[in-house]
Amino acid sequence: MTIKKSISRRQLLKTSAAAGAAGTVLAAPSILWAAEPDKPEELIIRAWGGPWVEALKNGVSDPFTERTGIRIIHDLTEDNEIQPKVWAAVAQNRTPPIHINWDTTTNATKSALRGVCEDLSDLSNIAGTTDLAKPVGVDGYPIVNTYGYVYVLAYRPEAFPDGPPASYHDLLDPKFKGRVAFYNDGIGFHFPAQVAGGGSLDGIPDAMDPCWDFVTKMKEQNPLLGEDPDFVTWFQNGEIDAACTISTNALGAKRNGVDIAWTVPAEGAKFDTDGLWIPKGHSEGDLYWAKEYINSALTQEAQQVWLDGLGLPGVVPGLTPPEGLAGDPSYPTTEADFERLIRISGRIQVENESEWFSRFKQIMQG
Amino acid sequence: MRNYRSSYPTTWRIMDVFEKAFAAIWPKGRGKYTPYLMLMPAIVLVGTLVVGLLYIGDSSLRTLDRSTFQFSDYWTLENYTRAFSESFTATIIWRSLLGAMIVTVITLCLAFPYAYIMVRTPNAVLRKFLLIALFLPFFIGQVVRAYGWLIILGNQGMVNDVLGLVGVEPLRLLFNYPAVLFGLVQYMLPFAVLMLAPAMTAIPEEIEAAAGSLGASWIKTMTHVIIPMVRPGLVGAGLVVLTLSLTDFAMPAILGGGSQDFIANAIYDQFFRTSDQGFGASLAIILIALGSVLVGLIFTVFGAGTLELGSSNK
Repeated sequence: MTIKKSISRRQLLKTSAAAGAAGTVLAAPSILWAAEPDKPEELIIRAWGGPWVEALKNGVSDPFTERTGIRIIHDLTEDNEIQPKVWAAVAQNRTPPIHINWDTTTNATKSALRGVCEDLSDLSNIAGTTDLAKPVGVDGYPIVNTYGYVYVLAYRPEAFPDGPPASYHDLLDPKFKGRVAFYNDGIGFHFPAQVAGGGSLDGIPDAMDPCWDFVTKMKEQNPLLGEDPDFVTWFQNGEIDAACTISTNALGAKRNGVDIAWTVPAEGAKFDTDGLWIPKGHSEGDLYWAKEYINSALTQEAQQVWLDGLGLPGVVPGLTPPEGLAGDPSYPTTEADFERLIRISGRIQVENESEWFSRFKQIMQG
Repeated sequence: MRNYRSSYPTTWRIMDVFEKAFAAIWPKGRGKYTPYLMLMPAIVLVGTLVVGLLYIGDSSLRTLDRSTFQFSDYWTLENYTRAFSESFTATIIWRSLLGAMIVTVITLCLAFPYAYIMVRTPNAVLRKFLLIALFLPFFIGQVVRAYGWLIILGNQGMVNDVLGLVGVEPLRLLFNYPAVLFGLVQYMLPFAVLMLAPAMTAIPEEIEAAAGSLGASWIKTMTHVIIPMVRPGLVGAGLVVLTLSLTDFAMPAILGGGSQDFIANAIYDQFFRTSDQGFGASLAIILIALGSVLVGLIFTVFGAGTLELGSSNK
């Protein structure tokens, strides 16, 4: 009896993949640890509070401390408010108040364009990430995107007995007067409004009259305007029936027992990313370990725990969606999912957002 | 017999040391400059503010290059041109100005009787109650008070609960202009009462009695005697309430629900949301100019003497 020992193509791929993955895991730290400088006692990471910082702590910070012994301090200063402090520190050659900024990619793009971000393109784990990790509109990796999120149309199913709202036009029904909500600067709504107003995404930023026409129509509905925490409160108190908001807020409300659902309407939904970046001005040792922290945030293990807490899709392939979010419009993973989403370059956004915000506020508050 | 020096208390001897040290630094011959020396803390404080203002003025003349997020190295009036050409700026300036004036009038109308009763009441318990009610809000910050109103006036708040008992559907009491003005009046009332009370205390009760004995009714005594005499307090309180309301941030932000911005909210947005500190600085300068013009107008109409400034020289 002869035993034919042959290696099939599938087996070869599996073996190679396993060896590659093992190699990556082993090589990742070694690339950076080849000439490991002294460890700082602590690293300061700016973060958002509540469930956001909890998720980061569980997924990235605690494992990092366990592995390196470096204490992680989470600074909960608002991202908008830390920015001028960081810019001033870099301009004055002072040490910045934080080592790593967990920031919206749009906000971080401003810092990148200003030239205050360290280059992160030498992080070994970037090689294992999807295209989503690369910031759009800037050269290289001054920021590493770590996950994406969708500005969904969240709604109370009780208020939509015939099924989810198919379009933003559905919210123009008089019965929703005073019962819909948007961000107070219109963020997340500008791009779907451009489509809802009969325009095209190619018209952004030069031909946005359709957007402002639709915002003007929506103003007649006397919408509530707020920030992230407001949406959860308003849904909890039954003050609104629908809102354009980040899916995490809707998920947070749902996890708190609020009867809420969400959808991506016919116009599409804005897709954006958050990321991590390091301000210039730190010592070589601090910079090294700050980079190592970000590198560790790009591993599958870290992303799985961190993003389970946030209910958002990461930038590393092979993550398991949190319970109930597989196939959800707020958790895009396939090309088909992304076709329904609107992603505009960070550069276009930062160059025009001031005008967009003013225009939205003028219409809503005029 | 004890040495008279050793009989001095320790505190006297410490003061002697200080006196000698001061005399070494500031000899008696320079005594005529002492008033200027006493002005120094105020000069340093105002000077610091002026330096800050110069920096803001400088920023307001520089535009933001959105391709580099750096400010121009030359001066231009572009930010001011933009501020005066954008209708949104006119909207928030008008809203802030009108709001500040309405709040001032309502606050003074409420503060006057409050202060009058607090000062004149013979009932010690009532006076203590009014004093406690006056000072208690000072221990609670503006933001906390605003959030308190969110709880009370919300759709599921106490007011709507009470209305619900008589069959009234929940009303939207928040996130509108009246809600912001209401919050501001509630916030400003203690300031106004605090400024009016000393002015009223300074009016002897006998003057009211004299007016009464000469045949003046209570209303005539109020309009012809008390109000004219308390005018310095009214003007002072009005100035404080007007300027604080004009520059307020928290009440429009919290009770306005993002739809009732005042100038301060727009400045915050430019500094922290769109990173355009130049435009934000130009709005800040406009706000300062507006406040200064208002104060100047009040002084022109009522005269600085209404605050009893320099009254001893008259």
